[in-house]
Amino acid sequence: MEILRGIDLIVPQGETLALLGPSGSGKISLMAVLSGLERASSGALSVAGEDFIVLDEDALARARRGRIGIVLQAFHLLPTMTAQENVATPMELAGKGDAWERAAAELDAVGLGHRLTHYPTQLSGGEQQRVAIARAIAPRPPLIFADEPTGNLDHTTGESIIDVLFTRRAETGATLIIITHDEHLAARCDRIVTLGDGLIVSDRKVG
Amino acid sequence: MPWSTAWRIARRDLNGRFQGLRLLLVCLFLGVSALAAIGSLTSAIRGELGQQGQVLLGGDLEVEVWQRALNEEELAFLEQYGTVSPGYRLQAMATTPEVAVPVELKAVDTNYPMYGALTLDGGSTFGAPPPGQAFLAPGAAERLGIGPGEKFTLGTVELMVAGIIEDEPDRLSEGFALGQTVIVALDTPERAGLVVPGSMFQSKTRVAFAGGDDPRDVQDAMEKAFPGSGYDFRTRDRASPGAERFVGRMGEFLTLVGLAALVIAGIGIGGGVNSYLEARRKSIATLKILGATSGDITRIYALQIGIAALVGAGIGVLAGVSVTPILARSLGELLPVNTDLVFDLLALLRAAAFGLLVALVFAAPPLARAREFPAMALMRAGVSPLRREWRLAALPVAGGLIGIAALALVGSPDPLLSAGFLAGAAVLLGVLALLGWAIRKAAAKAPRPANPIVRAALANMHRPGAATGALVTALGFGLAAFVLLAAIQTSLDGNIQRSVPERAPDFFVLDVPKGSLEEFRSLVASVSPEAEITAVPTMRAAVLAFGPEDSMQVVAELEELPEGAWALNGERGITYSETVPDGNVIVEGKWWGANHSGEPLVSIDEDLAAAADLKVGDMITISLLGVERSARIANLRRIDWESLGFNNVFVFSPNAVADAPHNLAATIDLPEGVGTGGLLRDLVSAFPSSSVIEVGPILTEARAILDQVGLAILAAASVAVLAGIAVLLGAIAAARASRTYDTVILRVLGASTRQLLALQFAEFGILALVLAGVSLLMGTGLAWLVITQLFEFDWLPDWSRILAVLGGGLVLVLGFALAASLPLLRARPAQTLRSL
Repeated sequence: MEILRGIDLIVPQGETLALLGPSGSGKISLMAVLSGLERASSGALSVAGEDFIVLDEDALARARRGRIGIVLQAFHLLPTMTAQENVATPMELAGKGDAWERAAAELDAVGLGHRLTHYPTQLSGGEQQRVAIARAIAPRPPLIFADEPTGNLDHTTGESIIDVLFTRRAETGATLIIITHDEHLAARCDRIVTLGDGLIVSDRKVG
Repeated sequence: MPWSTAWRIARRDLNGRFQGLRLLLVCLFLGVSALAAIGSLTSAIRGELGQQGQVLLGGDLEVEVWQRALNEEELAFLEQYGTVSPGYRLQAMATTPEVAVPVELKAVDTNYPMYGALTLDGGSTFGAPPPGQAFLAPGAAERLGIGPGEKFTLGTVELMVAGIIEDEPDRLSEGFALGQTVIVALDTPERAGLVVPGSMFQSKTRVAFAGGDDPRDVQDAMEKAFPGSGYDFRTRDRASPGAERFVGRMGEFLTLVGLAALVIAGIGIGGGVNSYLEARRKSIATLKILGATSGDITRIYALQIGIAALVGAGIGVLAGVSVTPILARSLGELLPVNTDLVFDLLALLRAAAFGLLVALVFAAPPLARAREFPAMALMRAGVSPLRREWRLAALPVAGGLIGIAALALVGSPDPLLSAGFLAGAAVLLGVLALLGWAIRKAAAKAPRPANPIVRAALANMHRPGAATGALVTALGFGLAAFVLLAAIQTSLDGNIQRSVPERAPDFFVLDVPKGSLEEFRSLVASVSPEAEITAVPTMRAAVLAFGPEDSMQVVAELEELPEGAWALNGERGITYSETVPDGNVIVEGKWWGANHSGEPLVSIDEDLAAAADLKVGDMITISLLGVERSARIANLRRIDWESLGFNNVFVFSPNAVADAPHNLAATIDLPEGVGTGGLLRDLVSAFPSSSVIEVGPILTEARAILDQVGLAILAAASVAVLAGIAVLLGAIAAARASRTYDTVILRVLGASTRQLLALQFAEFGILALVLAGVSLLMGTGLAWLVITQLFEFDWLPDWSRILAVLGGGLVLVLGFALAASLPLLRARPAQTLRSL
């Protein structure tokens, strides 16, 4: 079954882009292909200078290291690791020697400097999502994906999380692609792309 | 990712209490500790048997011969190699005015003991007792009711108890005795009138070598120097062949039990690792999102599982070593065994290696699957079914299997049995896997039952991700373990029951002088006129040659005895008779008539004839009290060995052997209700040189020994059952985890507790019923192998008890399944849904 059809999209470095669209429109599939979580069956795809079409699954995993950060709706922290260990893991996977220190600094930057040794179950939903943001940003990737980052949070907490996400992105200059149903959140981005039935139905700059 | 990084992440992710990997830990612990204990124990016993060969034998070489002592030339021959210590062994009656007790008389000279020390109660050590005195085993003193300084009668002499034996160094090599030991000076049997021509005694002459001679060389030289003398030899390296055989057989059985426990544990390990990795799906997907490759995932989780396996195996080895002294102490009365902590590094490494290899074989497939968990699992509920990475698992599984087979075969005293067992286990696993597949298919194809509970239970068996295969394997092995245990136990019970004949004679009387038979009969008749007496002449002879007259085979020239021709080995009891012995049937040839005076004839057992290829008309030459005699085979007999009476492989015509000095052996059957005490005393006082053995207490003792062996076998087999229960629990717990979601949703939809329990009950009930038949076949098949092939007992299972145990096993399975689902039923749906 063809899920994404004729999508032609160029995202410049440093841009913030919101992906909108009803359920089943192909948002998740597009993000999965762009982030290398799934392989596109045809077409051309270059991410941060790497040709993703020719890479196999393990090469895609290696390509993600240090290049792509991902924030998920349900946080998906590793339950057996502390906040600091969670944040350090992707940098350790990428072979960074200062992973530990950078994890602590990033957690400090998202306001969780006092929660380094806490396990996910000891953190609130908002705190868990901050850890997830720190984990995505700490390796300083040029590209960050966020899938409904506030979907599991109340409005106030969600607002503060988005503030943290946008602030840290601005400070690192990364490209940010957010999947969301929230028009208000989409409006904070530079550009909004709306999908429908596997096609781009609109692509507009936010004024 | 370098291994160091993988190790860091693995360590972080691994819960300090090994949560999720406990089934693996428990299974490995059980399997490895069983093997470590078995290995340590058998090597402790073997080491002791090997090291103490000289002490156990009481010399470097022992020459045994019946009904005579070695002559001057024979003694002179042995003396050229070192110190010689002659002795006698015979059955005798020790009496006091109150009681008569059969004893095993051991007459020794002043050189005894040449190795080790004879210790008496109180700790002092002695050699042979002075003339007129005796050392008594505690049992003999107890039955006679006497202690040091008191007197008792032996044959025609009165002896004083000089001490009670605490430790007899050569006890084990003496073998089974019908009575307790009494040690006396060498000349005592003769003075007591017990050693006369024809009486049934054995001389044992031991040599302690002065130089470094090889006992086997001396044995060969003596056989050559005195051909056809009918010697039995024992050497220091095989001081107690009976004990060695027992230890070897028991060790082999215990190793099989350990392997069975490990195979069962392997299933638990596979299930445990699978559940563990399934529960970590999200973590694995998260790591992949963060940039971990499939190889990284393999490294991280292989490290975790490897650590858990090492810890499980390590604790297992420690536990195995720690329980060895306890096991050794419980065996201490039967066998020489070091009761300290025994570290047989090789045995321990072997146990650990078995455990780790089994872990590798069973953990590799789920690990190979886990590396393929897709990262997208985090973002979408439904992801495409996983590829089965058989190729990745094939190498470690094949390597592990080869390693297990090599370890089992190289270290096994009976490689064929081990190989057969491993192949059998592999076939069983294959059969169960096939059955699991068939059940899934059948459940999918079965018409939808109207009852929603049964319908849901059937659906649970075949839906995607159903754990039916794992459950079938685990439940199948678990239930088979119960059946195995029951079949072994009831068969052993059956053998014990049968070993006690319904009608056994009340007394065996040995060494009745042949001229005193009438006196003997009238004495018995005076106590009980209706008593039945059977008396047969007894003598011992060794077969020197056999076969057709013109081409007889000399036994000494045989490299190996033909299979089943045990009667050709060493000296055997023989008799002569004018009539066919009671209970025997002539199957070929004719019996000689009364007063036969022609060519000397012999009748032999048909089984021996078949084994040694002997036919009617062939000849046999024997050595009887050192004299060669030949006889022609006149007929073949079928002997009922089950009857507890006088059964002889060789029965001669009277004119062949009756002129040799000999005594009679008799059985006495008393009518019901006649007490045995009076007759025993009268017989002992009238025939002081005869041994009167009361059968009742002997049978009770034999039964007690068999009971002990049965208990040991059962205790060992319980290890396999424990592993089976652990696997059952693990499988049920894993199945429960996969049911959580369904159960909660059904709860939300309004299912009652009773309905949910019925659903669990139906699913496990259907599986258990199907598996009951398979387990019955598997368990009894394996038990048959153990009983008939390993222990060479008869296959006498009690089917009603086996079925009852199987029923109990089924109830246990259902009980566990229901108990495991209870916490789920107590959970509040809303709360549980949030945590899903």
